[in-house]
Amino acid sequence: MSTPSPIELQVNDVTVSYANGMVALRDASFRLTGGAICGLVGVNGSGKSTLFKAIMDFVRPARGTVLIGGRPVRAALKANLVAYVPQAEEVDWTFPVSVWDVVLMGRYGYMNFLRRPGAEDRSIAEESLARVGMLDFRERQIGELSGGQKKRVFLARALAQRSRVILLDEPFTGVDVTTETTIIELLRELRAAGHLMLVSTHNLGSVPEFCDQVVLINRTVLAAGPTEEVFTEANLARAFGGVLRHFRFDESTVQKHDGKAVTLLTDDERPLVFGKDGHLEYSRRAGHEQVVEQRAETEDDK
Amino acid sequence: MIETLLTPLEYDYMLKAIAVSGLIGGVCAFLSCFITLKGWSLMGDALSHSVVPGVAVAYALGWPFAAGAFGTGLLAAAGMAFVKTKTRLREDAVIGVVFTAFFALGLFLISIRPSSVDLRTIVFGNILGISDPDIVQVAIISGVTLAVLGLKWRDLRLFCFDANQARAIGLNVTVLHYMLLTLLSATAVAALQTVGACLVVAMLVTPGATAYLLTDRFERMIGLATAMGVGTSLAGAYASYFFDGSTGGCIVTLQSLLFILALIFAPKHGLRAARRRRRVAAHDFALEGGTRPPDAFSGLKQTRPEAGFHP
Repeated sequence: MSTPSPIELQVNDVTVSYANGMVALRDASFRLTGGAICGLVGVNGSGKSTLFKAIMDFVRPARGTVLIGGRPVRAALKANLVAYVPQAEEVDWTFPVSVWDVVLMGRYGYMNFLRRPGAEDRSIAEESLARVGMLDFRERQIGELSGGQKKRVFLARALAQRSRVILLDEPFTGVDVTTETTIIELLRELRAAGHLMLVSTHNLGSVPEFCDQVVLINRTVLAAGPTEEVFTEANLARAFGGVLRHFRFDESTVQKHDGKAVTLLTDDERPLVFGKDGHLEYSRRAGHEQVVEQRAETEDDK
Repeated sequence: MIETLLTPLEYDYMLKAIAVSGLIGGVCAFLSCFITLKGWSLMGDALSHSVVPGVAVAYALGWPFAAGAFGTGLLAAAGMAFVKTKTRLREDAVIGVVFTAFFALGLFLISIRPSSVDLRTIVFGNILGISDPDIVQVAIISGVTLAVLGLKWRDLRLFCFDANQARAIGLNVTVLHYMLLTLLSATAVAALQTVGACLVVAMLVTPGATAYLLTDRFERMIGLATAMGVGTSLAGAYASYFFDGSTGGCIVTLQSLLFILALIFAPKHGLRAARRRRRVAAHDFALEGGTRPPDAFSGLKQTRPEAGFHP
């Protein structure tokens, strides 16, 4: 899948209000370019879902525009530019469809009036299933899969759709560690191929692990840009207010003799760690050598 | 013996009744797969009662009954949608209020003009007395419904399964919504002739519900439901001759019997299968002395999630 020009998602001054008069999103603006994994981060009710809805034409903004690849939303959807991976709770798992049926549904936009899959549709669907390691499960009814497998099937459907923009709604909720790794690997491959992934998540610790861009929202866009610039303690405090829990090393029983050899253990969520200036710390240095170097220099200058 | 069994087939009216019942039974059953999976069963009941005033008016004015019925059916659907969006009432209350309003109006209209149409015909059906023009109307409705379902079942399946995905690939979900609603009204009108307003919902739900217990494949579900719909309708209409009983009652009783059989004996989703699974799980649990296998109950149908979009 070579990409002639990088896909662009533009959200310009979008305001969405509902029939009951509630303004879910006010003057939201940001711009993302393909070859990126962008985390969409905010508390419940911050407008994450509304933003997704606006990008998928489920709600019409009262003001402002959404442009995908330079086209209005509806035209972009018709051109199969956008794929969507739903949350597990949104899917009726008892519906009598097989894994194979679900993945082929990703191809409907390319099929004729009768939606009869052709040879190309089948081979793309097969390849997509193989890519998420679910080809052996193609005849299973979707309710008979584990949480992680279910997620991978819907990811395969998005792959089969061959869309340049992929929206993922809480992709790591209720999945096992293997699936999480598989999904992150896959997202990185897609990024390398020029796709644009917008991932809504409440799991803050996972954001620095795989997102290179972040959009922080709370009824409007608070900050948008590269992860290390946006994901600072100050910005997160603005986005989350008092809802975050802290563990401060300087106030804890951690002593000097522990040095930096403190181990953080959490259950299924990754910890989010900030340095003393409130800047983001990554769990591994590999891939972030530049950030480390830059900070070392700033420290030396002081 | 054979002669006795063949007697109903010697009568023209019985042959017509059996054939028309089979056709309507099949169409309703085909549609029932979508209705049960979409969660519109109550809607089917509501629409089948809401067509009554339309039928009354149509007969009084000498119009085709289907035109009047279809009109008030859609009017009721629009009324329900309107009340639901404009008030804070829950959907079941809205459906309950609107359809009984229509049904009551229908009963009232018929009672003040008793000569035009028999109340019993509408409420309980009168397939044995169906007139040729009515047969033509039923045949047209059935033909159109079968054609639309046959051509667009994949789109409608996606709409029932995942309306968000349908929208995301650029399908017009509003059109699909009204397509299904229109088909539901149309078949409710057709089925009114066979089993009457009270039992239409059974024709539109039971075969699909039964087939749902028997299979995990949509295509097979349609096949099973349609076969059961046609079979029970043919057999029910035929058998009602011997019992000299209500045709509609006979057909729906047969459908309900099949449902009970499926409920108990269905290979995977039946009560016996569930009990067997529980025993195996308990046995394994005792053997391992450890944790219960997590998927011990996964074969059971679980509750449906609320439809909608909640990122």
